[in-house]
Amino acid sequence: MSRKIILWGSVAVLCIYIGIALAAPLIAPLGPTAITGKPLQPPDNRHIFGTNNIGQDIFAQLVYGSRITLLFGFFSALFSVLISTGIGIVIGYYGGLVDEIVCRAIDIFMPIPMFPLLIVLTTFFSPGVIEVSLLMGILGSVYGIRIIRTQVLSLARTNFVEGARAIGASDFQIMYRHILPNVMPIVMVKFVSASQHLLVMGVGLSFIGLWDTSTIDWGTMIQNAYSQGGIALGLWWWILPPGIAVIGISLALAMIGYSFEEKFNPRVEVNRI
Amino acid sequence: MISGKYLLRRLCYSGASFFVCITITFFLLHLMPGDYITNYLLSLSNTIPQAAVEQFRHQFGLDLPLTDQYVLYIVNILHGQWGYSYAYGLPVFPMITGKLCWSLILLLPATVLGILIGTVIGAWSGWKSGGKKDLAIFNVMIVIRAIPEFWWAIMAVMVFSFYLRWFPLGGYSSISVLTTGLSIPDVLYHAILPIALMTFFIATGNYYVMRNSMISVIGEDYITTARAKGLDERGILWRHALKNALLPMVTITTFQCAAIIMGNVFIETVFSWPGIGFLTTEALTMRDLPLLEGIFLLDSLLTIASMLLADILSSMIDPRIRMGNDE
Repeated sequence: MSRKIILWGSVAVLCIYIGIALAAPLIAPLGPTAITGKPLQPPDNRHIFGTNNIGQDIFAQLVYGSRITLLFGFFSALFSVLISTGIGIVIGYYGGLVDEIVCRAIDIFMPIPMFPLLIVLTTFFSPGVIEVSLLMGILGSVYGIRIIRTQVLSLARTNFVEGARAIGASDFQIMYRHILPNVMPIVMVKFVSASQHLLVMGVGLSFIGLWDTSTIDWGTMIQNAYSQGGIALGLWWWILPPGIAVIGISLALAMIGYSFEEKFNPRVEVNRI
Repeated sequence: MISGKYLLRRLCYSGASFFVCITITFFLLHLMPGDYITNYLLSLSNTIPQAAVEQFRHQFGLDLPLTDQYVLYIVNILHGQWGYSYAYGLPVFPMITGKLCWSLILLLPATVLGILIGTVIGAWSGWKSGGKKDLAIFNVMIVIRAIPEFWWAIMAVMVFSFYLRWFPLGGYSSISVLTTGLSIPDVLYHAILPIALMTFFIATGNYYVMRNSMISVIGEDYITTARAKGLDERGILWRHALKNALLPMVTITTFQCAAIIMGNVFIETVFSWPGIGFLTTEALTMRDLPLLEGIFLLDSLLTIASMLLADILSSMIDPRIRMGNDE
């Protein structure tokens, strides 16, 4: 019962975040880059969270920053899930040589650490948010391919797939109409947990300076506040809001992820009673 | 015992992985806009005579065909010549290995403590799975893990260093180092908070693995058999459940040793601790590609080696585990 409340609460939080990101210009008319006040102003009526070191409104930055943070998290999760599901279904269904080649390639790519590789690649390409999330998706999909493939391997030998083949369904039809719906629960669980994981990772990456300084998201806000003395000067309203915003969305996604996992994976439910 | 054929195959894969890493770094370095030598010399002086550029190009073998350069690059990597940093003008390899010691000061105690604490709590929680205390711990762990690592670090600095003033705000030694030299108690005093945070994080990560492993072990038939034989619960836990549940911990432990570089990039950055993580952040801010590639190569080398070690160790302990038979 209480678990259900947590789930719906989390979904509500998620919707609020997405709403804020979409309606950013309406909520924060001051704009994230405009200099609208004196530097390091404490909170007042005009600037709810005060201003930063060059006089930009922190509340507006927080509202607009949600766009990049959410975009990065969801897009990289989407890319990673799409790639791993697509490749996993195809190699699991056809098997044979294709499967062998892809699996060996995964064995080779698996030990390569993703995090520093992403940093090296972004330093080289200096890309935008969508490109980085695509890179992240590609790098992050390696693990997922195996999980989907294992599922598809057993599905491809079931009776209903045999039956579909017997009535003359094409390979694509079987994969799309019969196998995909059966792996969908796992894909959904992966998507939610990946978006939580990658969103937090994206904020972390921007905290250590992955984007250029003109990009405003929660990570760069925290980094800015931290490195410009937000703590040493005791300006809690500068550093706390973006951090609390990250915690909120991350917790909401984590709770949704766990509820999904319980729903679709009966073993977990048994284990957790 | 482990078969020679399996070992050989595993070694080949590890070699191939590192080869892929070297290839990536080689091509990125060569496709980079601007010339490597010009970029490097710019880090030493503002004006570069063309003759010097030519001289260096010849000396570094950059006038050779691409295939020869590639072979030369691989040979150089294997000899520990990993190029020169743009931002610092220093050779990359000694720079990184020098920073490694500083990272290890934090990582060694944190990893050992974290694994111990995480395993103990995880085993206990898994053994009592479904109970009130287990669920309470599990939910707390979910919340802890959902909050980013660097945020915990920032909050710790804010509370313990700024408001309570128990610990320094960051860095690795006090200002007195200029007169008295580096003293061990001083460095330790600066290291306590980062070590505590890292321990905390490693422990929560291990908790999950250990709890899951414990839960799947206590569902096994041999535990039921042991109960049916009339063994007491304590005996089942120590002699049957724990030993089998610890198996995945072997893999996790070796992985954590591999995470030496990237595992602590956030905590080192928040505390300005002069280890590899902080170096990564600095290199990233200055867009220092050769240095980042060096860090990437060292990290991949460590990860590949520890994955190999983990596979060999776990297949020695448990002969059921073999690579490739995942069907």
